[in-house]
Amino acid sequence: MGDSTFIKLANVSKTFPGVKALDNINLEVKKGEVHALVGENGAGKSTLIKILSGNYQPDEGAEIMIEGIKYKSLTPIEAIRKGIIVIYQDFSLFPNLTVAENISISNQLEIKGKPINWNEIKKTSIQALDELGINLNPYDILETLSTAKQQLVAIARALACKAKLIIMDEPTSTLSKGEVELLYKIIRNLQAKGIAILFISHKLEELFEVSSIFTVIRDGQYIGTYPKEQMNNEKLISLMVGRKVEFIHQGATLIGDTILEVKNLSKEGNFKDISFQLHEGEILAITGLVGAGRTEVIQAICGIAPADSGEIFIQGEKVKIRSMEDAVKYKIGYIPENRLTEGLALTKSVEDNIVLTVLKQLRGKNLLISSKKKRQLAKDWIAKLNIKPANYNMLAQKLSGGNQQRIVIAKWLAMNPKILIIDEPTNGIDVGAKSEIHNLLRNLSSKGLGIIMVSSELTEVLSISDTILVMRRGKINGILEGKSAIQEMIMNAAILNKPNEPN
Amino acid sequence: MKKILKNREMGLVILMIAISVIITLKNGVFLRPDNILNILKGNVILALVSLGMLVVMITGGIDTSIGGMIAATTMLVGNFMVAFTGNVVIAFSLGILTGTLLGIMNGLLIAFVKIPPIVATLGLNSIINGVMLYITKGSYINNIPKEFINFGKITLFKFIPDGKGGVIGVPIQIFFLIAAIILTYVIIKYTKVGRGVFALGGNKISAERLGFNVNKITIFAYGYMGFICGIAAILHTSIMKQVDPNAFNGFDMKVIAAVILGGVNVMGGEGSITGTLLGVGLFAIINNGLTLMGISSNWQKIILGTIMVFSICFVVIQRKRASKHIVKVEIE
Amino acid sequence: MKKTSKERTLIVVFIVIFLVLTFLSPDKFLTVKNIRSMAFQFPEFGIFALAMMVTILTGGINLSLVTTATMGGVISALIMVKLYQNGVNETLTIIIAILTAMVISTLCGLLNGYVIAYIGAAAMMATLGTATLFEGVGLYISKGNSISGLPTAFYWFGNGTVFGIPVPMIIFIIVAVVTYILLERTPWGQSVYMIGCNKKATMYSGINVNKVVLGVYMYSGFLGSLAMIIMMSRYNSARVDYGSSYLMQTVATAVLGGTAISGGYGKVIGVVIAVAIMQSISTGLNIFGLDRSLTNVITGCILVGVLTLNFITGNFNLKIKKLLKQ
Repeated sequence: MGDSTFIKLANVSKTFPGVKALDNINLEVKKGEVHALVGENGAGKSTLIKILSGNYQPDEGAEIMIEGIKYKSLTPIEAIRKGIIVIYQDFSLFPNLTVAENISISNQLEIKGKPINWNEIKKTSIQALDELGINLNPYDILETLSTAKQQLVAIARALACKAKLIIMDEPTSTLSKGEVELLYKIIRNLQAKGIAILFISHKLEELFEVSSIFTVIRDGQYIGTYPKEQMNNEKLISLMVGRKVEFIHQGATLIGDTILEVKNLSKEGNFKDISFQLHEGEILAITGLVGAGRTEVIQAICGIAPADSGEIFIQGEKVKIRSMEDAVKYKIGYIPENRLTEGLALTKSVEDNIVLTVLKQLRGKNLLISSKKKRQLAKDWIAKLNIKPANYNMLAQKLSGGNQQRIVIAKWLAMNPKILIIDEPTNGIDVGAKSEIHNLLRNLSSKGLGIIMVSSELTEVLSISDTILVMRRGKINGILEGKSAIQEMIMNAAILNKPNEPN
Repeated sequence: MKKILKNREMGLVILMIAISVIITLKNGVFLRPDNILNILKGNVILALVSLGMLVVMITGGIDTSIGGMIAATTMLVGNFMVAFTGNVVIAFSLGILTGTLLGIMNGLLIAFVKIPPIVATLGLNSIINGVMLYITKGSYINNIPKEFINFGKITLFKFIPDGKGGVIGVPIQIFFLIAAIILTYVIIKYTKVGRGVFALGGNKISAERLGFNVNKITIFAYGYMGFICGIAAILHTSIMKQVDPNAFNGFDMKVIAAVILGGVNVMGGEGSITGTLLGVGLFAIINNGLTLMGISSNWQKIILGTIMVFSICFVVIQRKRASKHIVKVEIE
Repeated sequence: MKKTSKERTLIVVFIVIFLVLTFLSPDKFLTVKNIRSMAFQFPEFGIFALAMMVTILTGGINLSLVTTATMGGVISALIMVKLYQNGVNETLTIIIAILTAMVISTLCGLLNGYVIAYIGAAAMMATLGTATLFEGVGLYISKGNSISGLPTAFYWFGNGTVFGIPVPMIIFIIVAVVTYILLERTPWGQSVYMIGCNKKATMYSGINVNKVVLGVYMYSGFLGSLAMIIMMSRYNSARVDYGSSYLMQTVATAVLGGTAISGGYGKVIGVVIAVAIMQSISTGLNIFGLDRSLTNVITGCILVGVLTLNFITGNFNLKIKKLLKQ
């Protein structure tokens, strides 16, 4: 271990009652290195981050060596003082404070006994912003800025805290292509200053773009550390999953009539001239980079954020959808991207969540809800979709991501939809559960359902779609056939101005 | 966001000027110095307590126990003064101590037992009010020592013409208010715990993650409210020259209304001293002005209520409009 | 009806208090006369408590509850008196008056609901504003005075009995049962709970959240008018400041009854028991000749105590679960 190492973890384990979350993890991050931390959901990445940030204390016998000095564990303040800064997915910023305050706030906390020095705050923030080459007004209030800009503020804060190791947890999940490029530039900038970066992301393409070295953990175990040259997508995935995952294209068994047609749908500042058709039995994927306008299009179809102009036809009939209520009337179901905040009532039971779309149908002869009917309906869907644990009374928040997604799907299947629109169907769900959801979707479409799937995961798109719509900057930039498409074609259409037509 | 706040404050100022003009046209007495001082003196307690409420509401909480806290403090100090001494310094010390302790109790319940603020302060209010009424049987105290009463009558800068040919001074209570304004400003702008109040109200989880001691900040906010209530209790007694245990029934709603009018966000994280004072000012002008115009006090509530509803709707609609114009996608 | 630990705790507290009071003063507490007198007093408060509870369920609050009711009451009383003095048939007068109160209070609820659901203002702010407004209207119309001279037949609502059961009690029981059915056994009611738990998810499930919330505030206003009718009958007059001390007490009672202040959880039976607890304490203190102000102290203590207990048992349950997992 030379003096180029910033931090080295050895024998780091973490046990919770009944669960060993981490078992003998080793990790070495060198100064100025971008180190990717890879693993499925539940592999232990967040636990490891919390140990690094001092929010958790590791079990006995752990060794944390920071710049040559050994520690058994850290407290949050110690971690920050040592230069370990975590940028969480929600940025941990204060929407009501100014950019300058957000950047300098940790430093201000360190000062004991003296009043807040607003000149210092201004100086520190301008310095941090300059060092990163970001052009932001320090007096802007944070919540007026776009998500991408807020992330820059979070990074500026890390810099102002004299960070030596910045841990970025899924930093690009809400960024557009241009913003991601800016992030890469900033990461390189930080590298040049000798700051190490621990990069966590599910987007393998990005990991390969910025990182030079990968550490894989699986089920709490340390699998290995590999330089980029020795690595590729397949190897990485098989190390993460522990098995070879092959992607076979599952196509539709039978495609029927057009059930949904959209013509020239436009909404200012969101999307323009969107036209396509969806058929019975078809899975239509809408993909493209984050920020291309995909979610906006489907929210327009569902009536949540209606379009300014254009037409929607359901089974040939022109319809007006101005609210989710209308959409339901036309048998359209919508499974949103954030199942925790938008898809489920977490403190209500599985049963309560499933029946939400069909409350009126639960009524018995006396027009009141029959709890028998409610229970039966819930039990049926729990069985049909294999929701585990099969307890209708369990609070939704207690189930795993994959099962929670099943609850949301069950909720919509209960009202017998003709069209199902899903935004990021397997977001935050681990690889094993992912393929089960894919099979489920394919099953549903074979029963005549038309499915529109917005997805950022190319392997997912390639494996189960019949038609692929690629959006770029608010417009459709390519329409591909599911079974013959390959990654490059999608990426071309997502990125380039005039993509090459597939032959 | 700052623009909306500035707009709101400008809006309040404009509204206040407009109403003042209307009132003055009807009754020139309104702008007479002695009337203005009257308005100030009559609303000094409201303004003072609003400062404390501002701090609490920025943390995203609320305090419905101020009626009880102030009443109990006036009772305690009143009885003490009758029994022992009318010494002003002792009175203030006792009042501040009582108020702060009561406020801290609120803070403890909210921070450690995790009882929602509205419930904790409601419960505490019941208890404090009940205990006080039980002990004092709701009786007035009319025999406050002369020493204290003389303090309450003090006025400074006795050279302001009162429009009737004489001169008057500024009541001493106003200066306490000014001191409180300065103190509150310094605290929320220049101290860690003051910024912590904003941080907590803005994003509690982030505040915890960054190492803010959320419990300490909460206890401070409610303790400060109690501190302010203690001062308010003494000042009120000095103005009224008596103690009336029922004087503060429903006072909390008045304060909350004034603070909300002044632009505080009920969710927390936003609020300014200027806005709060403007809100109180609007309240004050309406009350005084309408009386001068001979409009019954019943109309005052109607007008006030209407202004409140409209201003709330106005701010919300403005916010919604602003968010609609955010460009989500840069179309090719 | 599912009963969870919160409601069980409440029943236990109620039984304990009831037994203690009976034990301490058997000849005064557990008498028909006393129970009857309690049964006349608590319905108006109980109805208010339920009216507050439904709005809290959606994550909101109705600070204009009492002034809405009193404004409607004052207007209806004026009409009643005018018609009665002009010799209109008594029954007709009363019916018109009651309908007036109901309509006015429900319309006030409509205003509240509109501002909260369709405009999107925070419930506390909106209802604080409308409370001031309605109080002003009520004061203006009544000039701050009591309106008396109500028809004698009106006396029945607050003081009559049917088969020995006081009329107010019957009204309250009907209200409680209807509210229970509406909340737990209708699609509308289930939506109310889901909205309080996660408004966005409920909206994304195709439910017209705005309509539901509008209905909630209208229902709250309507219930308020019922409570006011009982009060007017008992006091034989109408005044804007009747029930003014009730407002915060109803919030406390709803919370005591297990309603989560953030919404999404709360049972009618819990609130009913909480009202019974509050009433028993108040009556008990009366019997012992203790000052009324002690009621406040005790109810405040019980509120804080029960919530603290919930907090401790919540933590306790978590710790037991962790131990069991090992």
